Amino acid sequence: MGRKFSCNLAGWQGAASALALPVLLAWISTLGVATSSTATAAPNPTAAELEKEFARTVRPFMQTYCASCHGSDKPEAQLDLTSYATMSSVVKDFPHWSLVLERISVKQMPPPEMSPQPSAKQREAVMAWIRAVRQFEANRNAGDPGPVLARRLSNAEYDYTIRDLTGVDLRPTREFPVDPANQEGFDNSGESLTLSPALMKKYVQAARSIADNLVLTSTGLEFASHPVLAETDRDKFCIFRIVDFYKRQPTDYADYFLAAWRYKHRAALGTPNATLASVAASSGVSPRYLELVWSTLTAPEPTAGPVDKAGPIARLQVMWNALPAPEGASVDAVRTQCVTMRDWVVALRKKVAWKFDNLKVPRGFSVGGQCFVLWKDRQYASHRRQLYPDALQVGGTPATRVIPARRRGDKTMPEQSITDPADPDLFVPQEEAARASVIKSFSRFCDVFPDAFYIAERGRMFVNESGDKGRLLTAGLHNSMGYFRDDTPLMELMLSDSDRRRLNQLWLDFNMVAYVPERMHLEFFVYERAESGTMTDPEFNFARAEDKDSLSDEKIKRLADLYLAKAKKNGGEPAALQAIEEHFQWVSRTIRATEKARLAAEPVHRKALLDFAGRAYRRPLTASERNELMAFYQSLRQKEHLSAQDAVADTVIRVLMSPSFLFRLDLESPGVPATPPKSPSKMRTVATEPRSVAPPAGAKGVEPLSDYALASRLSYFLWSSMPDKELLAHAAAGDLHRPEVLTAQTRRMLRDPRIRALALEFAGNWLDFRRFEEHNAVDRERFPTFTNDLREAMFEEPVRFLMDEFQENRSVLDLLYAKHTFVNAPLARHYGMTDIAGTVGNDWVRVKNADRYGRGGLMPMAVFLTRNSPGLRTSPVKRGYWVVRRLLGEHIPPPPPNVPELPKDEGALGDRTLRQALERHRENPACSGCHARFDSYGLVFEGYGPTGELRSKDLGGKPVETQAPFPGGESRSGVTGLQEFVREKRQQDFIDTYCRKLLSYSLGRSLQPSDESTLREMQKRLAQGGYRFNSLAETIVTSRQFRNRRPLNRPFTATASVKG
Amino acid sequence: MSDQDQDLSQDQPSKDTPAAPLSRRIFLRGTGVVMALPWLDSLPVWGATGDAPKAPSTPPKRFVVQFMGTGINPDHWWAKGAGAEMELSRSLQPLLPYKDKLNVINGLFNKPSTGVGIHPGMTGNILSGMPLTRGAMLHGGISIDQVLAAHLGQETVQPSLVLACEQPLTGYHETNFSMAYSSHISWQSADSPVPTEVYPSLAFDSLFENSGSRRLESILDRVREEASGLRRRISREDRSKLDEYLTSVREVEQRAQRMRGDLGKAANRAKDKGQPLAAMKRPDNGLPEDIRDHMRLMCDIVALAIQTDKTRIATMLMCRDLSGLFYPFLGVRDAHHPASHNDTSDDYERITQHYVSQLAYLAGRLQAMPEGNGTVLDSTCLLWLSNMFSGSRHDNSTLPILTVGGLGGTLETGRVLNYRDKGDENRKLCSLYLSLMDRMGVPLKRFGDADARLIGI
Repeated sequence: MGRKFSCNLAGWQGAASALALPVLLAWISTLGVATSSTATAAPNPTAAELEKEFARTVRPFMQTYCASCHGSDKPEAQLDLTSYATMSSVVKDFPHWSLVLERISVKQMPPPEMSPQPSAKQREAVMAWIRAVRQFEANRNAGDPGPVLARRLSNAEYDYTIRDLTGVDLRPTREFPVDPANQEGFDNSGESLTLSPALMKKYVQAARSIADNLVLTSTGLEFASHPVLAETDRDKFCIFRIVDFYKRQPTDYADYFLAAWRYKHRAALGTPNATLASVAASSGVSPRYLELVWSTLTAPEPTAGPVDKAGPIARLQVMWNALPAPEGASVDAVRTQCVTMRDWVVALRKKVAWKFDNLKVPRGFSVGGQCFVLWKDRQYASHRRQLYPDALQVGGTPATRVIPARRRGDKTMPEQSITDPADPDLFVPQEEAARASVIKSFSRFCDVFPDAFYIAERGRMFVNESGDKGRLLTAGLHNSMGYFRDDTPLMELMLSDSDRRRLNQLWLDFNMVAYVPERMHLEFFVYERAESGTMTDPEFNFARAEDKDSLSDEKIKRLADLYLAKAKKNGGEPAALQAIEEHFQWVSRTIRATEKARLAAEPVHRKALLDFAGRAYRRPLTASERNELMAFYQSLRQKEHLSAQDAVADTVIRVLMSPSFLFRLDLESPGVPATPPKSPSKMRTVATEPRSVAPPAGAKGVEPLSDYALASRLSYFLWSSMPDKELLAHAAAGDLHRPEVLTAQTRRMLRDPRIRALALEFAGNWLDFRRFEEHNAVDRERFPTFTNDLREAMFEEPVRFLMDEFQENRSVLDLLYAKHTFVNAPLARHYGMTDIAGTVGNDWVRVKNADRYGRGGLMPMAVFLTRNSPGLRTSPVKRGYWVVRRLLGEHIPPPPPNVPELPKDEGALGDRTLRQALERHRENPACSGCHARFDSYGLVFEGYGPTGELRSKDLGGKPVETQAPFPGGESRSGVTGLQEFVREKRQQDFIDTYCRKLLSYSLGRSLQPSDESTLREMQKRLAQGGYRFNSLAETIVTSRQFRNRRPLNRPFTATASVKG
Repeated sequence: MSDQDQDLSQDQPSKDTPAAPLSRRIFLRGTGVVMALPWLDSLPVWGATGDAPKAPSTPPKRFVVQFMGTGINPDHWWAKGAGAEMELSRSLQPLLPYKDKLNVINGLFNKPSTGVGIHPGMTGNILSGMPLTRGAMLHGGISIDQVLAAHLGQETVQPSLVLACEQPLTGYHETNFSMAYSSHISWQSADSPVPTEVYPSLAFDSLFENSGSRRLESILDRVREEASGLRRRISREDRSKLDEYLTSVREVEQRAQRMRGDLGKAANRAKDKGQPLAAMKRPDNGLPEDIRDHMRLMCDIVALAIQTDKTRIATMLMCRDLSGLFYPFLGVRDAHHPASHNDTSDDYERITQHYVSQLAYLAGRLQAMPEGNGTVLDSTCLLWLSNMFSGSRHDNSTLPILTVGGLGGTLETGRVLNYRDKGDENRKLCSLYLSLMDRMGVPLKRFGDADARLIGI
């Protein structure tokens, strides 16, 4: 390994006079350089030797060559190089000295125009000393966990954490101030994340708005995707939970016929061991119902014949037996026949479904009122699996029904007789024994195939064929709120036990959360008074919706008696009177049951609050935290008289405002017992108080993170979010710190979709595209193809590319050289991939040979080419700078303030091309020093216009040229030329940069010399593992830095005590 | 805020115990009367603490909506002349004392609520001018009161008051619109109405108990304690981070406390100078038996809230569209909605006049409150409207609209305005809203279906 580096460095140093020597590379190079090219330092100098050398060589050098600018009097760049009196003061401020090393080595400092200039030997001596100090420090503190400050969640982490904590992607930080980045360009470290009163107010607002979405259900706490403040919000939340559940159920008979066919032909289909259950699972149908359908299709039935002899089941069996075997037909063909069978079943079933007329209501009562509509609902709901015998045509004679006379408005419609049209499907034999058997078949048919499994939508029930649409779960009342549950066939025939429980819960929640029975009863008053006028008699005046006791049993009873009395007085028939009685019993029963359920749910909510807090704190609560939270909740309920909803909401806000949620503290072992709890699967609250002193540490200056802290570190590294159940289970079991567990979890997490956060937050910041969705520098009049959709697609391309890298464990070198990329239709069009654009729509697809279109890998992605163009021209400077800075890790100082501006529009350059303008700029020696380091890297992209589009002419109409001279005198052309050059000369720089950035991001701090050995280990394992990403992630998570922390109260500057 | 408050803060030198806000509440409940400072005297406390009290600036502008459902009696709804010479029809008689502060505006309409079927579709967007969606997913637009609250509400205890004298309905109407549209004219977002407060006692508490800020304070108390405890368990370096947190929590907490303390001081000052305090007894729990009492209490609460600057925006749904209210005291047997089908009857005229007299009552309360050189009414605009002109014909091709109050001299009053013949483009209700929002200091380019101000207002 060392050899390999040396070789690489030797080649590299040849170019060092023209190119930057990246800091990182310089660090690594110490290995080779310190031992070979310094005359002044011993191979492994001691601290005393280094200190001596500092006084003898380095300090005088600074005094002589640097002090005139970097002295104590108004030092340039606020760097006073004479202020360092000892080696330890240098060590404390080493990042500055890394810069000193870099500037001296590329001869940028002392500035060439200054005199006197140090000799090459003097330069070399100082450089060697700095390197030696770094090496000394790196060895001495190798694996030091470093100063990882307590840090609040970054905005991104806050959003992801809230998403995983609540189950809804609310993104509350949209209006937060933007987080500052640390020195490495990441916004996830305590170095840069501060907290201000202004941000605190934002946290308050965010916590409140999250609590606005809170719903208290029978089983715990849930969060809606919208605020749940008004009644209509609660209805919406509950209704869609139920309707979505219904829609997920497989109720298409064709699917069951096909599944039964698959089971019948299991051997021929190559699955001889298939069971009904396994076929149901693979077909996505209900195993319960499939069994019923199977037994119905295969049960012995009277010999098939005309339907009036054999009945519908036999007919269905004939159709089923006629399905071809797999050898003779494609599955699609069989499916088509199954659809025909289904249509036959549905059509016949409709003909024998029950129909109910409105009840005849007493004078002065309305058919649209609750008693009578709900009665009708109940009749339908209880007859969904029953045969309507009147529909059958005995001996071929259709039934005749009498429609009683009725009054409509001013007109009286006389009594009518209606005869059904003759329908051979409904013929049953005249002869009694034969008829009984056919009717039995009909009954069985109706029983197995209900006329509906559930009713998700209902118009007004008292109107024939109402055209009402979109009234989800309603009871069909007139101008009045009401819901009705009608799903008995689904419950009885299709659902598993756990699904049945779930559906019952959903309906109970609907009643509880939205106060359905209570509101229905209150609206009863309104309707019966203002709409039907039934309750306008003065004796009803006591019943007012506004009175608090209007829902008491006493008042319900009083109203029921009066209402019934009036119905009797006005000629109510027994059925109507019974409907009224049943109704009020139902009202009372349901209201009481819901009340009871609400009461029973309170302890459930308290428990859920503790669970919520534990997940929010990402560790078990201590006993005192638990008590404090419960005491808070109880005081809100009992002393402040808040409702359960408000008390839970305030407790949730309190948890979300807690430092234990807002901060990542890496507490030593909060609430975790010295020995792991016995039950690993659950987070437990531990009775013991946390120890105030750290447990004995293993190595000097190192203390292992608790497994919970480690779980958080892992999840915030890979997902920018809280640990999931599985991670916390390992933390509870106390085995997460074991390298094999860490590695296995890392692999699992890399495959998880949440890895998107790593692409966005790590790579987005490293490669500087995180904010591209807000990029507005493109002149849309000149580039009308640059739409919001395209901008979003450009932003998404590297995200998809990198997620694929992480999830599929691909080579990190793909970022440079891959021939593939990912596109959707807008991006494919932009890239001229017209054949692809037509087929993909908004889906993202992987394009294997993207290089045919001039794409593949990161470098030619439109997002970077556009981001680094000022609008109406390209910018070889910015593009080249992006490559050498972001990908290759060079540090280049900002341009001096007096740099002449290039025209904003490349059409306005006159006779010159942009390239020529740059050439002239480089003639100025003050500019060439830097520009020589990156211009060529940008000029090769001239074949891409300001929005990254392929082009052969620039906006001035001049042909573009993509050739550029590279260090070493070679000329390269285009992206492929650049890729070749990087592969030959700079690949190591890319790898160094990648490793360094990833390590810094994962640790949440800037790197320090003591991280050197881990960086070397990362590179070693990367090379051994075929450059696959997993080896990087695994090396990091099992590293000493990652798994440990500095002990509590240990002095911050680990090296301050260096004395020699 | 109240003088009790101030006394209490002397008893409680430190705010560190959560007991303080609790006992304050009990105290309030015990006496049942709250005394609050009128806006003018509380004014200095809104500035920075410790500064010399600023000279009183112009009183803030306030905006109140009163809504009556299903129209008026068209035969008795007219006005003639201007100012003191103005003649008012029978239904408008209650407003006689306020003629010079009154505008009777005829001929405006809300186009998106026309041609969509009767009742809910005519109502839910009366303050937003946005089209409504049928079926299970409610969708309309933010209403003018909530737009104003969003812009102006930060400066008061409550951004807005949204009151109703009748509970909301949420079933489906035969037009397939949700009846929530009949019950809610105030919308906080396009998808969600503002829940209405029906109970006077709770509306009162929301203003004078300041429960939102007190609840926040007790939350912050807790997290501050937690952080202090945590502080002992972390490294020196981490403490600096936690200290940022503690400082921030304290800052937010103190801001709320400071405001309360300053209010107490201001109350004292006022008492010393012998200035009157506005006083009101906390309404009983539950709803008043008589709808007249209910409406009057709601008006009292709005008047007090406005006078003491607890809020500047209020919406009062005096009854729903499709209202089920009864008026035995008016000798009407039908409920409101059936009665409206006979809207030219004497019965319905009495109902109409009842609602106009609620406007007159509120105007009278505000008129009786001196403020600056005038009265609170002078800096207020009371907007009264219904969703139809005629309930028997379900006609909303024009709407009955009244305003009372000069909105700080920005709204000319004592006029009868008729837009009936000005052309549809020039008689939009939302144009009136744009004009009123201008005067409230919230100028918008467009609102609802309008992008032009109302000419001649």
